[in-house]
Amino acid sequence: MRWLARVRRRVKLLLRRADVEREMDDEMRFHLEMEAEELEHAGHDPAEATRRALREFGGLERYKDDARDSRGGRWMDDAAQDIRYALRVLRQSRSFSTVAVLTLALGVGANTAIFSVVRGVLLEPLPYTEPERLVDVSSVMQGRHTSVSPPDFLDWRSQSRSFSRLAAYFLSTTNLIGVGEPERLTQARVSSNFFEVLGVSTQLGRTFRSGEDEGSAPRVAILSDGLWRRRFGADPRIVGKTISLDGFATEIVGIAPASIRFPDGVDLWLTTRFEPRDVAASARGARWIGVVGRLAPDAVLAGARNEMAAIAGRLALQDPSHNEGVGVAVVPLRENIVGDVRAPLLILLGAVGFVMLIACVNVASLSLGRTAAREAEIAVRTALGANRSRIARQLLTESLVLSAAGGVVGLVLAFVLTRTLIGLSPGDLPRLDTVRVDVSVAAFALALAIASGALFGVVPALHFSASALHDRLRAGGRSGSGGTRPASARARRLLVVAEVALAIVLLAGAGLLLRSVAGLRAVDPGFRPGGVSTFTVSLSPVRYPHADEQRVFAAALLDRITRLPGVDGAAVTFSLPLSNSGFGFTFEIRGRPVVSGPSEPRAQVRVATPDYFRVMGIPLLRGRAFTAEDRAESPQVVVISEEAARRYWPNEDPIGQVITTGWGREEKGKRFGGEIVGIVGDVRQFNLANGPTPHIYGPFAQRPLDELTVVMRASSPASTVLAAARNVVRELDDELPIYDARTLDDMVADSVAQRRFYALLLAGFAALALMLAAVGIYGVIAYSVQRRRREIGVRIALGATRERVVAMVMRQGIVLVVTGTAIGLAGAAVLTRLLRGLLFSVTATDPLTFIAAPVLLVGVAVVACVLPARRAGGVDPAVAIRSMD
Amino acid sequence: MADTRADLLQGTLDLLILKTLALGPLHGWGISKRIRQLSSEVLQIGQGSLYPALYRLEDRDWITAEWGISPEGRRAKFYRLTAVGRRQLSTETESWRLFSLAVNHVLQAT
Repeated sequence: MRWLARVRRRVKLLLRRADVEREMDDEMRFHLEMEAEELEHAGHDPAEATRRALREFGGLERYKDDARDSRGGRWMDDAAQDIRYALRVLRQSRSFSTVAVLTLALGVGANTAIFSVVRGVLLEPLPYTEPERLVDVSSVMQGRHTSVSPPDFLDWRSQSRSFSRLAAYFLSTTNLIGVGEPERLTQARVSSNFFEVLGVSTQLGRTFRSGEDEGSAPRVAILSDGLWRRRFGADPRIVGKTISLDGFATEIVGIAPASIRFPDGVDLWLTTRFEPRDVAASARGARWIGVVGRLAPDAVLAGARNEMAAIAGRLALQDPSHNEGVGVAVVPLRENIVGDVRAPLLILLGAVGFVMLIACVNVASLSLGRTAAREAEIAVRTALGANRSRIARQLLTESLVLSAAGGVVGLVLAFVLTRTLIGLSPGDLPRLDTVRVDVSVAAFALALAIASGALFGVVPALHFSASALHDRLRAGGRSGSGGTRPASARARRLLVVAEVALAIVLLAGAGLLLRSVAGLRAVDPGFRPGGVSTFTVSLSPVRYPHADEQRVFAAALLDRITRLPGVDGAAVTFSLPLSNSGFGFTFEIRGRPVVSGPSEPRAQVRVATPDYFRVMGIPLLRGRAFTAEDRAESPQVVVISEEAARRYWPNEDPIGQVITTGWGREEKGKRFGGEIVGIVGDVRQFNLANGPTPHIYGPFAQRPLDELTVVMRASSPASTVLAAARNVVRELDDELPIYDARTLDDMVADSVAQRRFYALLLAGFAALALMLAAVGIYGVIAYSVQRRRREIGVRIALGATRERVVAMVMRQGIVLVVTGTAIGLAGAAVLTRLLRGLLFSVTATDPLTFIAAPVLLVGVAVVACVLPARRAGGVDPAVAIRSMD
Repeated sequence: MADTRADLLQGTLDLLILKTLALGPLHGWGISKRIRQLSSEVLQIGQGSLYPALYRLEDRDWITAEWGISPEGRRAKFYRLTAVGRRQLSTETESWRLFSLAVNHVLQAT
């Protein structure tokens, strides 16, 4: 408790200085009076008494000073004094202070915003119990991770010892009916022990009980916190009630806590309810679920990996037609979720760190310039008794005050920037919900500000020396012509070179990324997205249980939509290209031996109505597409893509051949396939960067589905068409929500969204760096011109033309820029290698970018030098020579 | 006797102040007067030493201060010993005793 009283005293000292001083005065005066009184009683006359008392007392002020010293907290006094002085000085040079604070604020703001993203996405631990023991288990085929098949999952669960629990999950969608507007929700179907694996319990109600994931168990659901608040008003009584999902009555048994969002984007969890055909031995090749597990208490990752490799080997031997060459990957869950974005985010963090360095360099350079201008003031202070460390402390305090101000403004800026970043970021950036400006982020901003303040404050503080100041005072400023350059000017030039180098690196990186995005956008997706919009509906299995109902609905839907004004054509399919989804199977070609394992033919499999290719703008290359004649009872036909023809019929004509895919294998006699009647152009299915994938298309009429994606080509604007389509759907079925309504142009743009995000951010940093570098160059050149005014005046008086003066100044600037550029290009050549994962169609040392970046920088630098150069040319020799700098 | 103001070691002054206050709370002037009286005018503590010492002792929480009314009716700052200060007093007294004993032994050696 003692220290509390002490702290209170110190605070009082600091804040109520005047009161404390007055108290001391009162105390001393009292003493003085008592002293005088005593002397009076001893017989002295009053005036004499007072004089003697005063003498005894001796220089009041001196003792007060000693008294003050012993009060403790002297350093606080000094610091307060330093800060007050710093504020006064900074207020006097308003332009410098404003530029410095803004520059620092930009640096701190940008860095803090990126740090908040990095902290949330990469650093913050997952909100589960002991999250480091959670792993994602997936199958590996041909070196790539793929989903898992339910039979494999069950075998892993029964055979492995390394995991205390394993749970399966897969995402799908469901229609919520009967609670206001029907809505499509993202549902995660999970094993009954899913929440136990994660180690979380519900905030209301219960988690799933064992056995509830059997196919015959009653339907139960756990709502996410978001859905509960949004659709059910956070009403606790919803637990135990029943809702209608896809027409099935489902009981709500619990509400999950707000922090749980796994899998990403989930609205509610239901149980897997595998059908017998899902887990049959013949379904081992159908890989469509995810598996998450918790390591057993005595297990380690390496051991788990070994065990799973052994189990995979056993399964491959046991069922080679499905599992030959199929391995298992065990990856920590966090890695699985954020692994892809770790590298780009860290690169961005590094890039924005460069920006901060440039900002510090700029402010240091500005400070140096100011310090040089304040030489007289500092010399006077030195003469009055300030020692070198005291003055250095003063300068450092000024820097810290500046950086504190920059930090505060930067924090506000970071707040805005973080919001903007979250808004602009691609939808698939994981864990975005954890990104926010909180205490740790604010602490980062503060630490960064103070560190920068120390960094650039040290430069001017170290820079002057007492003896040099003496000389300067005496010399009266006659130096500063071409011969002796003060060290501060050289330091400033070095700083500019450093700035330019850093800016070049950023420009090169940004240029490479921008070219990559442009390259991607230039790739032909294989279809013509312009003017086409799309939406999807998911037919309830209750209302449309069979193929006939689905066929009828699709026909009615298309019929009405094609009659809408402005619509040129419409078709039904599912899983559009570049929509981040796939549906692939192996297939057999009649007349060829069946191949198993990695070299088995595989293709993306789709069904579509006859107008699909026309609406999408996919060219028909040979043969024919579907027609209305290809009905359910007609012979089965398919159309394949060019890539499929190229890969699997390299030397023969595929038309007329018959293929059978693995789709529908579990329903005897209903495997999807048919005679190839046509070849169409390729489309990029997964992303623009990879080559085309083989496709097999069949007529919708011969194999209808319950998930219909409608594409419409129209001359009216998309919003009108989609609104009209929504009405059409509602007329046909008022319990059917539409979702994923968008234009194909947007869909294509979204497919490059992540890369574009990084490219734009890096470009933003590069632009910032360029601007700062330009300001830095301008500052140095302008300062140099000002210092050399006399020399310039002499030159002009001696006959130099103005043009030559301008050229001289420009040359000085260009030399700096070229030096910095050379260093920067060397650095860029090394550092851009880090970007390799993000690049497309350009190499890490792309010549075009590496030429364009310096050209841009030199151009900006020339503009920055022009103004002071012209001012140099305009120097009046008579005035300049006579002036005493 | 010569003015021992400058000669008094800081710690000794602290000890004297603590002892004086152990006899009852006093204001600054009262402390210097009491020390003078108790030492028969030998020890005269100057204001320049007294107040720094008082503030130092207050900072260490060995004494506390409070404004009050002096017997003469004037406003004055009174100091008083804290519990910690009281403990410190006995420690310092003991140290002083040992110290002066040791000095005496050295001086008495022939």
